[in-house]
Amino acid sequence: MTAATEYAPTAVRLEHRPWWRSRLTLSAAIVAAMVVCYLALDRDLSWPASLEWSALTRHLDDFQVWLSDQSNADHPNLIVRILNGISSGLDTLVGWLYDALTGLTWVGATALGTLVALRFGGLRAGTIMLGSFAVFGAMGLWEESMQTLSLMLAAVALSLALGMPLGVLAGRSDRFNSFVTPVLDAMQIVPAFAYLMPVVILFSVGPGAAVITTMIYAIPPAVRITALGIRGVAANTVEAAAALGSTRRQLLTKVQLPLARRMLLLSVNQTILFALSMVVIAGLIGGSGLGDAVTNGLYSNPALAVLAGAAIVVMAIALDRVTEAIANRTDPAQQHLDPTGRRWARLATLAATAGVGLAAGLGRALGAGDLYTRWTAQDWLLARVQSALDYIQDPATFLFRNVTNPIGNFLVQHMLQPLDTFLVETPWFVTFAGLVAIAFVLSGLRPALTTAAMLAVVGVVGEWQPAMDTFSQVLVATGIAVALGLALGVLAAESRAVSRVLRPVNDVLQTLPQLVYVIPFIYLFPVSFVPGLVASVLYAFPVVARLVERGVRDVAPHSVEAAAAFGATRSQVLLRVKIPLARDAIMLGINQGLIMVLAVVVIAGLVGSGALGYEVAQGLQRNEFGLGVVASLAILALGIALDRVTQGNRKRRRDV
Amino acid sequence: MSNRLRTSRVRVVAAVAGAALVAALAVVGTAGARSGASCGTVTLNEQAWAGSTANTYVAKYVLEKFLGCKVKVTQITEIPVFEAMAKGRVDAVLEDWNHVDQYKQYVQKQKSVVLVRSNGLIGHIGWFIPRYLLEQYPQFKTWKGLKGKESVFKSPESGSQGMFLGGDPSYVQKDKQLIQLLGLNFKHVTVGAEPAEVARFTQLIKQHKPVIFYWWTPQYLNAQLDLVEVKLPARFDGCADDASAGGDLAKYKCAYAADPLNKLFSRKFATSGSPAFPVLKRWKWSNDDQNLVAKWIAGDHMKPDKAAEKWVKANMAKVNVWLGK
Repeated sequence: MTAATEYAPTAVRLEHRPWWRSRLTLSAAIVAAMVVCYLALDRDLSWPASLEWSALTRHLDDFQVWLSDQSNADHPNLIVRILNGISSGLDTLVGWLYDALTGLTWVGATALGTLVALRFGGLRAGTIMLGSFAVFGAMGLWEESMQTLSLMLAAVALSLALGMPLGVLAGRSDRFNSFVTPVLDAMQIVPAFAYLMPVVILFSVGPGAAVITTMIYAIPPAVRITALGIRGVAANTVEAAAALGSTRRQLLTKVQLPLARRMLLLSVNQTILFALSMVVIAGLIGGSGLGDAVTNGLYSNPALAVLAGAAIVVMAIALDRVTEAIANRTDPAQQHLDPTGRRWARLATLAATAGVGLAAGLGRALGAGDLYTRWTAQDWLLARVQSALDYIQDPATFLFRNVTNPIGNFLVQHMLQPLDTFLVETPWFVTFAGLVAIAFVLSGLRPALTTAAMLAVVGVVGEWQPAMDTFSQVLVATGIAVALGLALGVLAAESRAVSRVLRPVNDVLQTLPQLVYVIPFIYLFPVSFVPGLVASVLYAFPVVARLVERGVRDVAPHSVEAAAAFGATRSQVLLRVKIPLARDAIMLGINQGLIMVLAVVVIAGLVGSGALGYEVAQGLQRNEFGLGVVASLAILALGIALDRVTQGNRKRRRDV
Repeated sequence: MSNRLRTSRVRVVAAVAGAALVAALAVVGTAGARSGASCGTVTLNEQAWAGSTANTYVAKYVLEKFLGCKVKVTQITEIPVFEAMAKGRVDAVLEDWNHVDQYKQYVQKQKSVVLVRSNGLIGHIGWFIPRYLLEQYPQFKTWKGLKGKESVFKSPESGSQGMFLGGDPSYVQKDKQLIQLLGLNFKHVTVGAEPAEVARFTQLIKQHKPVIFYWWTPQYLNAQLDLVEVKLPARFDGCADDASAGGDLAKYKCAYAADPLNKLFSRKFATSGSPAFPVLKRWKWSNDDQNLVAKWIAGDHMKPDKAAEKWVKANMAKVNVWLGK
């Protein structure tokens, strides 16, 4: 049964269900039954050891040792040599880009960025680009920014070069699509910490390895959104073109690709943002640049870490806005150039090229230097950031004593710990059966079966208890993120002003490396789980808010008008019409919120949330490769299980 | 789209590409001319903690100033850096905390990394408490005094038990095992990475609250925070520290060792005949030296290069030994 046919009848049936048979009531009843079991049965019936495959970790460890021996042998075999070739090729590529940026001198580099944005994106884009370069200089992080920029340019270009053709393939072939989707899921959910070591063994360290790690995370959105775009081209258009005798190739290049243009540009845009969220991880294996400034700053100069994090955000937002502007301005559907227009455009291109050349030449002639090292406001900024950090870190302030500390303690004592105890101590078969039953009630038979299989994987790899520990934290974080996201999303849908304020806030929260703000939160909420919880909420709620906003706003206007015609007040329209009709988008929001929370599990583990995230980090840092992989598998399985539980009976969608 | 427009675009692209190529060639040319010294480029790896920054930048200053080397500093985390040395991407690590498993794999088996015992620093892990606690509980000097008094250290997340703050996942540790073996009523709370642990205990120390945690020397913060080590059971033959190795629990029932820390070199670098190798091989300094420079860098926010210069100028006698003069 396909998702689409499953969808319609259930939705109709739902209308006639009495309240005591509604899905929410049934789920609540299942939870109540689980609580009864928890109270009545013996405690500490964790997943039985006889059902664990305990040798798995050791096999994985052996595999890593073997891999390392192969790659460092005196006479490495062909595959190793090919991989070495790839990584040194990538090193050279990033090196070239960096040398080109420095070779232009800082004046030329700024001119290049600004004029390209100006020529293709318009005045606003040009100003944004100029502003971002000014920020890098003023922060005293010019060199680091250029290193990160060259790394990102290489990683984004290669991700698109690989991802877009795969996306086209996935868009045109259902079989390929269903094969590639789970692979993409894994690439996004498995924490980078788990595969960092194999990447280092195969590709050594340095820019090349950093590019590959970034690509693993940045390719999925390129593939997914491209496929979505190709699929989104109306079937009748394609049929019409085929009926007129287009070949498959013509169909693609003349019909599908041009019509999917906006989605293709969105995929470029998302690939950039996803790549930039890997800057810090890439720094751990020789990516250098801003990522290093963040990691090292955490140990010796937290204010510098904050500054470097801000530079990453500026770079992300600048690239995001500029690519968006370029996408809008160069849309052929909106722009019909006459010959004079074309001539102007060509002149502008020429002028821009000449401008870059002139700036670079002037820069060289006047000895401007490869990198900007003149006046910076770094010391002043560091002092400001430091004083803010000092305030946050002072336990005598009103903020700490009366707000954050009590809230943190409350969250731990009354939410996290009871839930944790409940999930960890409930006999495993009760939790197992309960979750599968909830999946069945909420989403149907197939999702329930997948949930069962995934929970079994968690148990078999021997991660049941830490997984339940992580699960309890994920639940609380998602609960808070969904509540916050729902409220803000509905508000933003109703008020343009809120929407306008929310967008930059969302952008900052999605691109600022969590490591930057999570340490200050430890000072504010000095209880182990809470800083991780706050980081997860801050990362997840923007997505929920975005999806809810879109959902509520997209409710068909005639339904709203009809309700208004019957004399419904604004709040009635909102509560009785818009929100129920946006239910699918809201469910998707909850679902995506969960996935985002899972993406922060490792960072949370690094600041005291323990459990699976800690094990993954340990896997890399203590060379317990097997443990790291097994814990990542558990995170992946937990992620898929939770995805299926909350999938609802909506048509399966793959929004990124 | 007309053909004319297309060819003009092609031309623009070609022009831009040509310009980029010229620029790249120019840069490659100048870069080649720059590195003339016999020493060439040496790559040192700096690890995330402040002490490692101090090591790296002092060595960098010495190599650049006295041997004319060009020093590149990489920042790769502790375990992957072995792989980087095996492949010759990193030449030297100046402070390694006895990663015995990696020594077996890379030093003994692959022979891709060269181990040079002792960099003069003595690393020691232990259980630490702030000194003010001893006023009220003088018995906390040894682990026996903790028995029965664990609830002094209780926190919201440890319930009625005492809270023991565990170390960074990347560091050698056996505290869960010790707590169990010594029969202490502590809940081992994993605070996470080093900065996270620092944040947790400094916040408690600022409030003059009780706290006990996994910590070590040399560490520049120790002097600032006035910490005391809790005495753990004496060491015996076969006593081990790295609980991730598993095995018989009883072998962990002892204090952590006080181990000389080591230097590591890429075999490629060690056999390259670089004049930097013998200097780095002789490079050696004390816990006090490192703490001083680390405090300048992390405590006083001095630039690492400046801090290194300041130390070298004041300690030329030590530097001359490294230089073999």
